[in-house]
Amino acid sequence: MDVIPSLDLLGGNVVRLLRGDFANVTNYGDPETVLDSLDVPRGSRLHIVDLEASRSGHPVETNIVRRLATRGLRIQAGGGIRSLDDARTWIDAGAEKVVIGTVAADSPEILRAIVDDLGPERVIAAIDVRDGVVRVGGWERDAKASLSEVLARVEELGIAEALITDISKDGAMRGPSFALYRSLRTNLRIIASGGVSAISDVVSLGRIANVSGCVIGRALLDRRIDLAEARARVATTNAIPERVIPCLDVRDGRVVKGVNFVDIRDAGDPVECAMRYEAEGADELVILDISATDANRTTALDTVRRVSESLFIPLTVGGGVRTIEDFRALLRAGADRVAINTAALRNPQLIADCAREFGVQAVVLSCDAKRTGGHFEAMVRSGKESSGVDAVEWCRRAEELGTGEILLTSVDRDGTNSGYDVELLRAVTSVVKISVIASGGAGHVEHFRDAIEAGGARAVLAASLFHDRRLSIGDVKQFLASEGIPVR
Amino acid sequence: MKTTLIDSPVANVANIARALRTSGADLDVTRDPTAIANAQKLVLPGVGSFIAAMQWLKETRIDDAIRDAVKRGASLLGVCVGHQLLFDVSHEMGTTPGLGLVTGEVQKFDGVLPVPQIGWNRVAAQGPLFESVEDGVFYFVNSYAAINAPDEIARADYGGPFTAAVQRDRVFGVQFHPEKSSAAGLRVLRNFIAWT
Repeated sequence: MDVIPSLDLLGGNVVRLLRGDFANVTNYGDPETVLDSLDVPRGSRLHIVDLEASRSGHPVETNIVRRLATRGLRIQAGGGIRSLDDARTWIDAGAEKVVIGTVAADSPEILRAIVDDLGPERVIAAIDVRDGVVRVGGWERDAKASLSEVLARVEELGIAEALITDISKDGAMRGPSFALYRSLRTNLRIIASGGVSAISDVVSLGRIANVSGCVIGRALLDRRIDLAEARARVATTNAIPERVIPCLDVRDGRVVKGVNFVDIRDAGDPVECAMRYEAEGADELVILDISATDANRTTALDTVRRVSESLFIPLTVGGGVRTIEDFRALLRAGADRVAINTAALRNPQLIADCAREFGVQAVVLSCDAKRTGGHFEAMVRSGKESSGVDAVEWCRRAEELGTGEILLTSVDRDGTNSGYDVELLRAVTSVVKISVIASGGAGHVEHFRDAIEAGGARAVLAASLFHDRRLSIGDVKQFLASEGIPVR
Repeated sequence: MKTTLIDSPVANVANIARALRTSGADLDVTRDPTAIANAQKLVLPGVGSFIAAMQWLKETRIDDAIRDAVKRGASLLGVCVGHQLLFDVSHEMGTTPGLGLVTGEVQKFDGVLPVPQIGWNRVAAQGPLFESVEDGVFYFVNSYAAINAPDEIARADYGGPFTAAVQRDRVFGVQFHPEKSSAAGLRVLRNFIAWT
């Protein structure tokens, strides 16, 4: 998976246009200074878009390409290449490849002439798509050919790579169009472009068949993505499986389940459930103690003890943990990790204290988030009461204080089976480095994929779905694997 | 043959004991240096701090007891920090000598990924300890690891390759937690117990 930085050039500077408007320019300054600040190493590929050329129809920024080529960067240059002469100008300036857009979609004979002259290995076909239709001429009009026709033609010419941009996603910072890339039927190596705004986007794109690279523009310039970190994450993506975690809500020593905690009914013995889940391939188990009184907490400790004695996967326990002593008691009873929720919101120092006492790996922040106006609010008391704290900011802070992982539950989606709140997940996973466990809303196998792929979650949790055997852990893992997501 | 589990206070002994028994071990759990020195099959667990774990071994003279046992032909399995203790030194907060039973140094993960590593990771392994789980996935919790150890028998990647297991003659170490690695972990323990 090639992670390719992308720079738009205008007047010798790196710029961003707001919605393609030449009157609305953000200037990031000299390209070499920008590349230094982004730590782009020698040998890296670099995508260059000559904005003036795309407007005027003639290459302008050739001097910059000449300078950058001497830094050992492998440059792919584009922007309004309309003829063989234009393409040659870029190659003569030191570009390794040219990126051909409108001509590739609308003028097969010019594309053929360029390929014949430069060789197919020097050409990348750039295809811009909106709602499945190829757009050309600065996205102004539909191309004459369909997407599959353009792809077939490009492939026939011996071109190996196609840069495919989803226009509706470009610059929106809401993630790329995973569905578009997954739907492509081609032997071309696809470079994805548009909307890549979190490291998890890069990882997820790399898992889609045929996608061999992605270009990142604004997210690098805005420091949302660190290039070295993205490349390191991509390198480990197949070694580190994503986790499927069943959750047992336990009260008075029994597993219970009710929609939104009303109409609670008995769902079995916790030890039996735990052993069944491990046998089905659960990567971890979460027990949430929903006992109402302190007297019942003693029963909960006993449940944790009994479950941990039958389990050979990690066990996380949460629910009603208020003090460092509660935390210690659960670890002693056999929990590997303890989740803190309300008490941490009331006293954030509890996170730091527990991390110092028991290690960061033992601390899980459980955050119940609810949509409130334009943002997410962290809730207390099982999602019933507002805390006034922004959930995303709270997760970021908890990471600093020393939590090893975040269990992020959407209060709005919990019990609905309508899917995880991907927007909530993105908001949190794009600002923390630690793993986020998605919780609340799972109903179908696709939901698990979306939480990981688009939401950036590293683990997916469900309770009633597994209890009621509407899906098994094996079903979920099999589907994730079929979508290219590594599982154990 | 009995398996002797060293009852370190700097370890989660109960979990390992349960996993070893489930894997078929006839288990002794002890802090007695004489019993340890005379053991034929030893397991050294450990979690948390290398420094604290090593200090306890020295104070109790169990460090010498382990070396004696190995010298007399005992087999030994170090788990997690117990694995790290087998090495020459660790660079956890300064430099602390280990047992020196395998060659190499333990160092902090030096990359851009979050530390500690908490979770499952794929391991490429070879040799009798990993029989039938050569391409297994195991559960890790660690901020430190040996990198490219000469006695490496298993390797994993966390922002760069690290040593997931070592073997030198009859001394084995695994950086992961077999007692939390489900069937694959129990298989490694069973392989150790069966190994002669």
